[in-house]
Amino acid sequence: MSSIIHTRALTKTFGSNGTAVHALRGIDLSVDKGEFVALVGPSGSGKSTLMAIIGCLDAPTSGTYTLDGHEVQGLSGGELARIRNTKVGFIFQSYNLMPKANILRNVELPMLYAGIGRKERRERAMALLEKVGMPEKANVLPGNLSGGQRQRVAIARALANNPALLLADEPTGALDSQTGAEVLALFQELNAAGNTLVLVTHDPSIAALAQRRVELRDGLIAGAVEGAA
Amino acid sequence: MMGSGAFLLRLESAWMEIRENFGRSSLQTLGIVLGVASVLGGFSITDSFRKRSETLYVKLGGLDKLNVQPNNIGNNGTPTALQNANLGLRHQDMDDGRGLDSAQVEGVSVQRNARARVRSAFTDQERRVQGINGDYLAIEGYDIAQGRGFSQSDIGSAAAVAVLGSEAFQTFFPSGGGLGAIIRVGDVPVTVVGVLSQRVFRFRDTPGMGNMFHRKNRLIAVPSTLVQQRMQGDNYQRVDRLTFRIPKVDTIETFAKSLTSVLKMNHRLQDDFRLDDVAARERKRRDTGDAYDIIFMLSGVLALLGGGIVNVNIQLASLKERVREVGVKMAIGAAGTEIFKEFMTEALLLTALGSIVGLGVGVAFSWFITHYIGVPLGMELGSFLWAFALAIAFGFLFALVPAWKASRLSPMEALRYE
Ligand SMILES: Nc1ncnc2c1ncn2[C@@H]1O[C@H](COP(=O)(O)OP(=O)(O)OP(=O)(O)O)[C@@H](O)[C@H]1O
Ligand SMILES: [Mg+2]
Repeated sequence: MSSIIHTRALTKTFGSNGTAVHALRGIDLSVDKGEFVALVGPSGSGKSTLMAIIGCLDAPTSGTYTLDGHEVQGLSGGELARIRNTKVGFIFQSYNLMPKANILRNVELPMLYAGIGRKERRERAMALLEKVGMPEKANVLPGNLSGGQRQRVAIARALANNPALLLADEPTGALDSQTGAEVLALFQELNAAGNTLVLVTHDPSIAALAQRRVELRDGLIAGAVEGAA
Repeated sequence: MMGSGAFLLRLESAWMEIRENFGRSSLQTLGIVLGVASVLGGFSITDSFRKRSETLYVKLGGLDKLNVQPNNIGNNGTPTALQNANLGLRHQDMDDGRGLDSAQVEGVSVQRNARARVRSAFTDQERRVQGINGDYLAIEGYDIAQGRGFSQSDIGSAAAVAVLGSEAFQTFFPSGGGLGAIIRVGDVPVTVVGVLSQRVFRFRDTPGMGNMFHRKNRLIAVPSTLVQQRMQGDNYQRVDRLTFRIPKVDTIETFAKSLTSVLKMNHRLQDDFRLDDVAARERKRRDTGDAYDIIFMLSGVLALLGGGIVNVNIQLASLKERVREVGVKMAIGAAGTEIFKEFMTEALLLTALGSIVGLGVGVAFSWFITHYIGVPLGMELGSFLWAFALAIAFGFLFALVPAWKASRLSPMEALRYE
């Protein structure tokens, strides 16, 4: 099976010399198409740092990263933006929706940056809102939604350009267990439909849902365990 | 990267951004509003003066005139013998001037003033009486309502005839029928051969505004030769004013130079006459207007500059609020250039809106000022365009720094920004 994520000896160091923090110290990780990987590990172990590099939000200090067959290092800012736009869907713990734009517009935004025409944009955004179970909220502002609803919108937005990869950094971290479970069910649904998913979590029961559990410790992979799901 | 309609969408989100942050946006545009208003207001003031003098000159019969008047000399002490021996401005000067370039000179009007008691069957008043020649009425822009003007032979023979302005006619013949009647001008009985149409010129069509040409309607004109010979006993045919009409306005200056040298010879090198080139005077006035335009533009530019600096500060401050937002946009695929364009669009939209408000304020401001100094408001399209263009240029310039900064943010740092 072809891997979507393939990293070799990835390191990330913040700061310099005296105050340097070695957040990642040599990560070799491969994720195959259609996989559901749970990234776990104690606080400060480098999970978010790794996710940012995988999502092309940040560049590694050293090492190589191949995303869906494309070498990422050495790409220009514009090219990286294009990868983030079309290949990666990022879902944050704090939703990160545009507060002044309504739900529909939020979901349309990545398509806007991809240069998709108005009509198609609208249709796809509506279809995605349907998919995440929020078709009737199209004209509502994010501030008027519950946390679970916001995260659903964020997922719809992440799916906008049919990305090869969904990255979720503690997506249920700010939700109560009931809504968290609902959002998680949505992720499982998406994975069942063929979406590749990497999900950061502290919750062992969530991690247990994944096909594979990757544990980070001090910027290194401590062990990879095959999951049950 | 973004396809068609991208600009409109950017415009739409810019508008949302502005609407959502109305207070901040208003503050940002304040400098633009004031700058535009002051540029436009300043321009309008000079525009208004310019327009007023233009309408006035059109009404007066154009700029194609060169006036020659006697100069008062020896006003600091007794005149010298040479000055005394001079005869002043006279008919000879007119003939010589016309002879200089008869192709260019369309006409020369003569004016010789007198004061006299004027009596008709109805009225008896001390009035100013004007001795004129045949060209005078046409050059001064009078129209004959009844009868006729003065012919060559009237002038040549110092005929005892008169032409009355509309006011004079009404004063001396309140019940009409004055044409052919005799009036006494001083001791000389003269026949009224012509009556002139009334002349009206108001800067504003408001009731309180007087007729600027009221004095012109008081004209009581007789042949200049009549004034010289029969009223004043002047055998030298001295005149109070000569007006050369030269249709090709750009040749007036050259003509004026040759005329000066001829008259100097006639006047034994005495400066007892002076030339007044109406077009040159108007040019000078325009130049002063232009100078004021530059001053007003500078003050507007200073206002825009100040406003621009305030604007940059506000934008940079608000950028801090918006860093996370930029981070999110970048995370979902906005390139730096897109962020740059979004910021520029917003700034330019804000500038355009501020400019429109500024133009409105400028119009109001101009209206008040011109009303206060009693000049009709005359605004030119060019002034609007200038003010608008200046504001957009400044808006663009000052938007560059914040937009550049925003576009250079790294997505991760922007997302982590607290
Ligand atoms: N921009 C940064 N500058 C400096 N240090 C950083 C930066 N980002 C992360 N770090 C450091 O790198 C290490 C890894 O951080 P990271 O956020 O990846 O941890 P994490 O596993 O996501 O933790 P958590 O579970 O608390 O979210 C930490 O020590 C953190 O302080
Ligand atoms: Mg983290």
